[in-house]
Amino acid sequence: MFQLFLIAYRNLLQHSRRSLLLGGAIAGVTALLVFLNCLSSGVKATMLDSALTVATGHINVSGFYKVTAGQSAPLVTDYKKIEDIVVKTLPDLDFVAPRGRGWARLVSDQGSMQVGMAGVDIAHEPRLPKVLKLIDGKLEDLAKPGSVLIFENQAKKLKVKVGDSMVFSVLTPRGTNNTVDVRVVGIAEDMGLLSSFNVFVPDVTLRSLYQLAEGSTGALLVYIKNMKDIPKDIDLLDKALRAAGYSVMDRESKAFWMKMQAINREDWTGQKLDLTNWEDEISYISWTLKAIDGIALVLTLVLLVIIAIGIMNSMWIAIRERTREIGTLRAIGMQKTRVMAMFVIEAFCLGAIGTAAGVLLGCLGAAGLNVLHLHVPEGAQFFLMSTTLKFAFEPARILGAAAVITLCTTVISMIPSLKAASLEPVTAMSHIG
Amino acid sequence: MNRMKLKHMLAMALLALATLGQAAEALSKDKMVELLKGIDIRVRSSGDYKALVYLESREKDKPDIAQEAIVYRRDVDEKLMILFTKPKTQAGTGYLRIDRNLWYYDPTVGKWERRTDRERIAGTDSRREDFDQSKLAEQYEPSFGGEEKLGNFKVWVLNLKVKDGVDVAYPIVKFWIDEDTGNDLKRQDFALSGRLMRTSYVPKWQKLYSESKKAELWYRQEIRIYDEIDKANSTLVIIKSVDLNPLPENIFTKAWLEAKSR
Repeated sequence: MFQLFLIAYRNLLQHSRRSLLLGGAIAGVTALLVFLNCLSSGVKATMLDSALTVATGHINVSGFYKVTAGQSAPLVTDYKKIEDIVVKTLPDLDFVAPRGRGWARLVSDQGSMQVGMAGVDIAHEPRLPKVLKLIDGKLEDLAKPGSVLIFENQAKKLKVKVGDSMVFSVLTPRGTNNTVDVRVVGIAEDMGLLSSFNVFVPDVTLRSLYQLAEGSTGALLVYIKNMKDIPKDIDLLDKALRAAGYSVMDRESKAFWMKMQAINREDWTGQKLDLTNWEDEISYISWTLKAIDGIALVLTLVLLVIIAIGIMNSMWIAIRERTREIGTLRAIGMQKTRVMAMFVIEAFCLGAIGTAAGVLLGCLGAAGLNVLHLHVPEGAQFFLMSTTLKFAFEPARILGAAAVITLCTTVISMIPSLKAASLEPVTAMSHIG
Repeated sequence: MNRMKLKHMLAMALLALATLGQAAEALSKDKMVELLKGIDIRVRSSGDYKALVYLESREKDKPDIAQEAIVYRRDVDEKLMILFTKPKTQAGTGYLRIDRNLWYYDPTVGKWERRTDRERIAGTDSRREDFDQSKLAEQYEPSFGGEEKLGNFKVWVLNLKVKDGVDVAYPIVKFWIDEDTGNDLKRQDFALSGRLMRTSYVPKWQKLYSESKKAELWYRQEIRIYDEIDKANSTLVIIKSVDLNPLPENIFTKAWLEAKSR
């Protein structure tokens, strides 16, 4: 076997120009695939990070409360009882955070914008201090009623700094206008797209704005120790909540606000609970991830076809050039399978070296761009979920991509190799040209 | 010293007289309710009502938006429909009130959405109440706010507070009512928190004879609404024409509005 590798290696060296061209093409395709994989992983990491900070837990026990059949509010009443059920039911629970939910017009002296409000009790939010990077102000001040924590981009748009006053204007669940004056206590670093339209306020402020009772919240954000257990834990919660007499809605992979129209059309009143996971809550933006993966797949397929044609063509030429050599090898006793293996190994070596170079090139490119913190134009921010270009490295995904390309080049080389192996020694030896 | 005392006493007497005078001019509760009922009755149509409305909204850092809509009303049945006709991108969208629900129709997606009865109309500062019949006496409890001059007009100022159990967009309203005509000329709407949300001026009132009512029907021909939170925003509402002829019987239906967008 070693001899076959040696022959393959020497052949590649002998036809260095052809090997370089073909290997370069393989390296290019691999680099592109690795680059797109890193981008997709980066988008996913940013999305997960910002979603779990701003909008959702690993699992959410949320719900809707309807005073009349036509008017629903994203509310969970008497949430302490539900929190107890969650704590008792989930064995791998990390922590539970009640979060108020609202949608408001935030107005400063210089501008205004529509924002999603997350009503937090900062004492019950162990994750926030770890992940929110404050540029200015103090996160602890968010415990004071009438405070607000915004993100960098929002501060720029509203032209405010820490200490400035703003007004939240909302419609209460009964359709009455209400406002509350707030003071900016902190400005945090942007965390992707979700942080462009979400802000944090103390839960008491949100409750007073919406005229809500003490024991109600928007959702219970449940964080568990192992994300792989999410489907299993949702099933456990579903059973436990139903057993406790709660009405639980059928699972639907949509963010809570996307369900409100349909719920408003349903003829029921009172409380219904809804169980979602983090992917459901950001389903309206996760299509971008699928789009990046889709583009990567299509591009790779197209380029793989081109490479396959290149490999086959190159092998045909090699076989034609080495027909007499094949004939001689067969005449001195080399088996057909070994002849075939000789050519397949040559293609494998070319593929392996090419993809290795491609992985290196793609990773270097992604790492280089990561270091530069390139700013993403506003139009592309929606697509890439971030204000700066971010790449993440998932070794399994990268090695998988390299393996697929190497495998393809090897498999495709089997067709001409089979042809070479099937040559009769006499015919091959007498081949001219 | 005596002179000083005399001056002080004189000042006190004048103040007492002024207070007495003001108290004498204060409107009684009944009179205020009567004024509000007067407005409600004046704008109420006992037959059908159709008005062509021009809406112009201004927002900071955004181009002005002009829209045209037709407002259909059948006050007896509390029916209301607003159908947008201009610009082309908005044509066919509409609001329809069925019972206590306001429905919004978007022809681009062909779907109806249930909206709150008290939300902004077509993204402007106007509300459904600005186009609908008036129910001031039914919804609010008035208290006297004084007598003022508003430009050349002598006006009564009424402070209105929403009655218990009634849902309105603005729970506190300040009203400036023309003493001569009884028409409101200015209105300030406050949020539940007491913050001023918007100020509206009604520089033009119009009237026309209603056959079904056997009396004159009044309407606010021009309303200028200023957003007091987002100071740069404002909306102009002009009622270009009013038609009191009977409307088709089946007009206040989802199907009718949908058909208009086809």
